[in-house]
Amino acid sequence: MVVFRRFESAIDQGIGRRKLGYLVIVLVVLFFLWFPNDTSQSNYTKTVFISGFFYAIMSSSWALLAGIAGQFSFGHMAFMGIGAYAAGLIARDGITFALLGVSISPESISAFGSIIIGTIAAGAVGLVIGWLLLRLRAAYLALFTIAFSELFRIMMLTEYDYTGGSNGLSLRPLLQIADVDAARQVEYYLMFGLLVVCLLALYWVANSPIGLFLRAMREDEDAASALGVNVVRYKILVFVFTSMIVGFAGAIFYSDVGSERIIPEQLEILQMSLIIAYAVIGGMESLIGAAAGAFISRYLLEAMRQVVITLPFGMTTYDGSDAFVWEPGFWRFALFGVVMVFTLRYMRNGLLYPIITWFSGRDIVMKETVSRRESDDNHAARIEADDE
Amino acid sequence: MSDLHLELNNVSKRFGGLQAVDHVSFTVTEPELIGMIGPNGAGKTTLTNLMSGMLKPSSGTIYLNGRRIDGHPPYDVTRAGLGRTFQITRALGRMTVMENMMVPGLAHNPRAGRADLEARAHEILTLLTIDHLTNELSRALSGGQRKLLELGRLLMLDPAVIILDEPFAGVHPRLQDTITNYINRVHENGKAIMFISHNMGAVFELSQRLIVLHHGAVIADGAPQAVRNDPAVIDAYLGHDEDD
Ligand SMILES: Nc1ncnc2c1ncn2[C@@H]1O[C@H](COP(=O)(O)OP(=O)(O)O)[C@@H](O)[C@H]1O
Ligand SMILES: [Mg+2]
Repeated sequence: MVVFRRFESAIDQGIGRRKLGYLVIVLVVLFFLWFPNDTSQSNYTKTVFISGFFYAIMSSSWALLAGIAGQFSFGHMAFMGIGAYAAGLIARDGITFALLGVSISPESISAFGSIIIGTIAAGAVGLVIGWLLLRLRAAYLALFTIAFSELFRIMMLTEYDYTGGSNGLSLRPLLQIADVDAARQVEYYLMFGLLVVCLLALYWVANSPIGLFLRAMREDEDAASALGVNVVRYKILVFVFTSMIVGFAGAIFYSDVGSERIIPEQLEILQMSLIIAYAVIGGMESLIGAAAGAFISRYLLEAMRQVVITLPFGMTTYDGSDAFVWEPGFWRFALFGVVMVFTLRYMRNGLLYPIITWFSGRDIVMKETVSRRESDDNHAARIEADDE
Repeated sequence: MSDLHLELNNVSKRFGGLQAVDHVSFTVTEPELIGMIGPNGAGKTTLTNLMSGMLKPSSGTIYLNGRRIDGHPPYDVTRAGLGRTFQITRALGRMTVMENMMVPGLAHNPRAGRADLEARAHEILTLLTIDHLTNELSRALSGGQRKLLELGRLLMLDPAVIILDEPFAGVHPRLQDTITNYINRVHENGKAIMFISHNMGAVFELSQRLIVLHHGAVIADGAPQAVRNDPAVIDAYLGHDEDD
């Protein structure tokens, strides 16, 4: 602890916490850029990272929607699915807009074109759902979005002539690289680049006046409205924006970048709950916290498929080995649930919150104002005012 | 501010069988300091909600500077120039005092630089004696301080008309002086202020015009001394013991 205090004051007098924070971010980015060049790493590990990046996009965009804007939606995975399914269906069957007299054949559409159409489809549904949710608050919004995403999942499962049912739907492959190792490499950089771009876009929104209005809306819709915030517009905007982000990410991920097909199982409530859990564990009001929470959780969940436990004190197992392999299977998720319960009970802002606030230097500000604060108006007046 | 014109024509609001606001009409054309009184349940808060767009009148119209504002969403009414506070304070709890100020600042003035808005916010917070709390989360404030913050936020909107719903209720006497000072200062800056209060001392000391509401209807509207001696008012309200 003493060592840490010394380190802390050295930093405060030296480059400052904020700059150190940026430095850490740069180092993390450099690590991820270097990682695939480490020849000792298997393609399997790269695949784990690729899906980690994807889930980081899911959780951080959900953090904007739920943590910052206060719209606790269970529909996030469904919007991702809409992006992926729409891209896949259009690449396979084409599309005809009868009203406009426009017809797009599957041959004339590129993989990227289908991804863009998937993104627009996700945004369009986001617009409708956002509008339908306008008058719903908290628990009702959650229930509505659960119903919506189940409806979508069951539709994808049932309309198997079109969607492939439980076998899922293959999208048009985005990259066509014959060499497996080279392909993994490119997929890795593509997904990592997408995560960086998404995080930058999310941060740009969160730090703009829009982000301030979204938080005002989360705190008190009526008060925000009375202060001049067009709550209707921003609520719809945040649904459309986050739906398009996950629609885009989903369409890319399932275009044989991270996975070769989208299956309805991926849209189950459990999967959505995991997105939420990652964000909660990392810190649902922090975009980078939610992203890190998702990536680290995905990595640990993978790593825990097989846990090798070395026995101490020269103990051996019945077959004479000094280590045994534990395969927790589904129990990994149970352990994960325990971590989430702990987080919600004792660290509402997420496990990474202390680290993030330390770097932002925000706790210094807090301490100062608290100590400077007058202990004026007596307690009774305060209680009275609160009891009105 | 010479073009100020707020006009209510036969504004009514029914909640089921209850006539909460009953054909209220009045006009404000000067930057006046108006007190509004009436027993609990007289319809004062409901009238505020009707004027600020939180509720839609059952009938009647409201115009502000030539624009019809009844039934418009609150953000639109706010932009038209009418700001209000809430009887029960509504601070944006998990946002700092400065952020609470910046929300209306940026909503009203999207093109203004943040630094300019922050400077303006500091000025207002200093007037309200809560400048030292700038970086505090507003949920950490006392009830009275939160009330001051609400008053401060309003000024970031630079409204022509301000309605304060019970600004003195449940506030420590020392902060009441700050609020009185605020009302006078804002009034000097050429804004019309309507404040609802049960604090008769403050009402008679501050207001230039007094509107009395009873069972949703205006039973008196005029100079405070005249209203004080109005038999209908004495009968309906002032004659009885005040309930607060
Ligand atoms: N949303 C509502 N629904 C039903 N009745 C209401 C509602 N709001 C207020 N009222 C009723 O309208 C009447 C006027 O209330 P209010 O405007 O709060 O009075 P005041 O602010 O003068 O004390 C009261 O009888 C109250 O119970
Ligand atoms: Mg009231």
